[in-house]
Amino acid sequence: MSVKKYLTLTRAGIIESLQFRLGTLVIIAGNLLYLIVIYFLWKAIYASAGCDVVNGMTFSDTLIYLVLATALFNFMEMYVVWEMGRNIQSGKIVLDLLKPMEYRRYMFWTYSGSFVTQFFFTFLPTFLAVALVTKGAVPLGINLLYFVISVVMAVSINYSIDFFVGTICLYTESIWGINIMKQVIVMLFSGATIPLAFFPDALKTVAMAMPFQSIYNAPLSLLLEANPTPEMLLHTLGLQLFWVLAMLLISRLFWKISLRQITVNGG
Amino acid sequence: MKKKSFGFYLRIYGKILAQDLKSKMSYRADFIISTIGMIFTNLAGFISFWILFRNFPSIHGWGYYEMLFLYGFSLVALTPVQCLFDNNWSLRMYVYSGDFIKYCFRPINLFFYFQSEVFDIKGLGQLAFGIGTLAYSWNKLGLAFTPLMLLKLIVFLITASLVMIAMQNAAAATCFWIQNSFYVLDLVTRFKDYAKYPITIFSPVFRFLFTFIMPIAFIAYYPSLVILRPDEIPLLSWLSPLIGVIFFYLSYKFWMFGAMKYSGTGS
Amino acid sequence: MENIIEIKNVTKEFKVLNRREGLKGSLMDLFSRDYKIVRAVDNISMNIQQGEIVGYLGPNGAGKSTTIKMMTGVLEPSSGEILVGGNVPYQNRAKNAQEIGVVFGQRSQLWWALPLIESFKILKDIYGVSDEDYDNMLNLYRSLVDIEPLLHKPVRQMSLGQRTLSDILAAFLHNPKIVFLDEPTIGLDVSMKAKIRTLIHALNQEKNTTVILTTHDMGDVDALCRRIVIIDHGKMLYDNDIEHLKGFFGSYRTLKVRPAGDIGEKAKLLAKELPEFSVTADDEWISVLVDEEKSKVLDVLSQIQKNHEIRDMQLQEISTEEVIKKIYEEGVE
Repeated sequence: MSVKKYLTLTRAGIIESLQFRLGTLVIIAGNLLYLIVIYFLWKAIYASAGCDVVNGMTFSDTLIYLVLATALFNFMEMYVVWEMGRNIQSGKIVLDLLKPMEYRRYMFWTYSGSFVTQFFFTFLPTFLAVALVTKGAVPLGINLLYFVISVVMAVSINYSIDFFVGTICLYTESIWGINIMKQVIVMLFSGATIPLAFFPDALKTVAMAMPFQSIYNAPLSLLLEANPTPEMLLHTLGLQLFWVLAMLLISRLFWKISLRQITVNGG
Repeated sequence: MKKKSFGFYLRIYGKILAQDLKSKMSYRADFIISTIGMIFTNLAGFISFWILFRNFPSIHGWGYYEMLFLYGFSLVALTPVQCLFDNNWSLRMYVYSGDFIKYCFRPINLFFYFQSEVFDIKGLGQLAFGIGTLAYSWNKLGLAFTPLMLLKLIVFLITASLVMIAMQNAAAATCFWIQNSFYVLDLVTRFKDYAKYPITIFSPVFRFLFTFIMPIAFIAYYPSLVILRPDEIPLLSWLSPLIGVIFFYLSYKFWMFGAMKYSGTGS
Repeated sequence: MENIIEIKNVTKEFKVLNRREGLKGSLMDLFSRDYKIVRAVDNISMNIQQGEIVGYLGPNGAGKSTTIKMMTGVLEPSSGEILVGGNVPYQNRAKNAQEIGVVFGQRSQLWWALPLIESFKILKDIYGVSDEDYDNMLNLYRSLVDIEPLLHKPVRQMSLGQRTLSDILAAFLHNPKIVFLDEPTIGLDVSMKAKIRTLIHALNQEKNTTVILTTHDMGDVDALCRRIVIIDHGKMLYDNDIEHLKGFFGSYRTLKVRPAGDIGEKAKLLAKELPEFSVTADDEWISVLVDEEKSKVLDVLSQIQKNHEIRDMQLQEISTEEVIKKIYEEGVE
């Protein structure tokens, strides 16, 4: 299998996202504003709490966590569910299915271009800014390597979930409803809006048992930990790997079954 | 030709709405899934809120029930934009495909005609949730329930709605100039989630910004002060109905300006 | 007769972004952009009278839609004057809209989810049509087409043909002075095309509505238009009767022959033997376009017969389609 055809899709995606100059500026400016809101909000929260450490996290821990979670979100959110839903409704999906590439892969590589631009335009600048501003609060060592490995797995899990949810659109016209449910659950239980450390124990147990925490919580906790114990490392990355494989399997299987059903029914 | 009266528009809207609801009821599955999605969104919002306040009893002197009031207030205030102006989300699609032109040939107000096409019924779920939250916190705060208070509440809810509608109009209208305006709209939508926090947590620069440039402070904070802090109401709170109307008018003009400038893609 | 549309020296220019190619080009576009001015419509003038059906023709990108958008008030001309029913459309869009109807071939303007009759009722209110006029119009529609099965069907469930038909009916509902039809028969089957042409013709006769028709289907033009206007590259090439158009190339006739043997092979040979003529071939016939002012058809025929056995032959007047094709390709002297 040649890698070239995939890279062609990546390149097309990069070119496409660069066409939108103003859009890129808006995204950057928007993120900046958003981060400012988060900053003030949590500053006020910590000031009112009257102590420096809450649930094992200091103000700067929380802030770095949330800022990078936002940056990760921008980098990973690909609106796959929307795209699939629209393609299914308009019937364009038939054309995509005819392409000499598995649909699941085709979608992924089409979006890989925006991964690359988003990584350089939003995640990297944010990360550097945070690392500089907090002066050493982000450890820069072997943890970066673990983080990168973890992010790669997070991207895979996130895509599998999106693809799974997108497949549901074969059955219903309600793209909005399906997508919003997915988004809400992922955002809450992945720890992207509030760090999982703040969750009450029962809720935290639930969250840890679901695949979503592997998307944001796992890479971020690895990034913020200068000297992870081998157990923590093994546990976090192992759990992620489990979810990568599980979600890959589930989403592929679901797609296969659904597609067969659709082709049989001629819908 | 005489100008079309308000009654004329109201009648047309009523007719379209009635027909639209009738046809929506025939797509029950979509309706149910969307409603569940809406409930999920509100539930998740509430859970986040609850998790946060479990850890921190107050923010800048605003207690749990006061924050809950702000939260409920913002939910109710956001209902009109959800129900009546949801077609703004499709605007960019119509503009890219060139289909927007079809709205330009009717002898009625373009903005009205465009927005009248969609009534998003699932917004009513949010309304119910918001009213419930508002009533609960109202009760817990021991606020008086007099006709005057009710009048104040309604006036300021309308004010807050106008501001939100204005922000969404302006964000949607950017698609007449930039290509991926989706991000602008998405950004504004994300910001409205932060409308429910007291503006005092921000530094003066951002207080100014969120009051006059991106006026999220008018969605819940300034209007709520009239009811929650009757002893220390700033001038801006009293002015907010006027400001709401002005913002709405400006956004309408901006939207129309964009639409007029628009000339359809292709030839 | 009174002019319902007057267009005087109208020009429309657009600013278009020059995009660079490739990844490097995209990166450069991010930092600097250059624009060029495109003249979509170039100094066009025409007058159209009440009740006319005018075929407005031109190849893709010729400036047809731009002109229509200016007439409907969506676009403002860069220079020149347009009057539609005495109004300047751009300055008074809503008032102008009351007097016109518009149909875009594949873009329905009806409410997608609503049954047609409900769309009609809403349009009735929007345009302020009286009950009496509305009932009369519906009765007229009933006498022209079988609309009963359509009335209670949501537009989204209609076939393309039904939808186009519905859109046309909706455009005439408020009895406008002018109706703009943009590619009304695009993508339709033969019988639906005929149905739609008959309907347009009948409505024009019945209500004396002016119809501006843009199309690529010369069948539409032959069936409906007395007058045609052709533009290309924004410039007006032709504005006159359709008969006069044929007169332009009246001296041309098509000689069709069916030779013995393989038609494709023979066509290639004939093209070599008759270099001064345009030779084309389809499955059955080889066509030779003959300018009778220069050479006689019989001479051409005998020349062909010298080398080839001819099984069958036909002589045809040039079709509108061929004339238009020639104009698009060669222009008008």
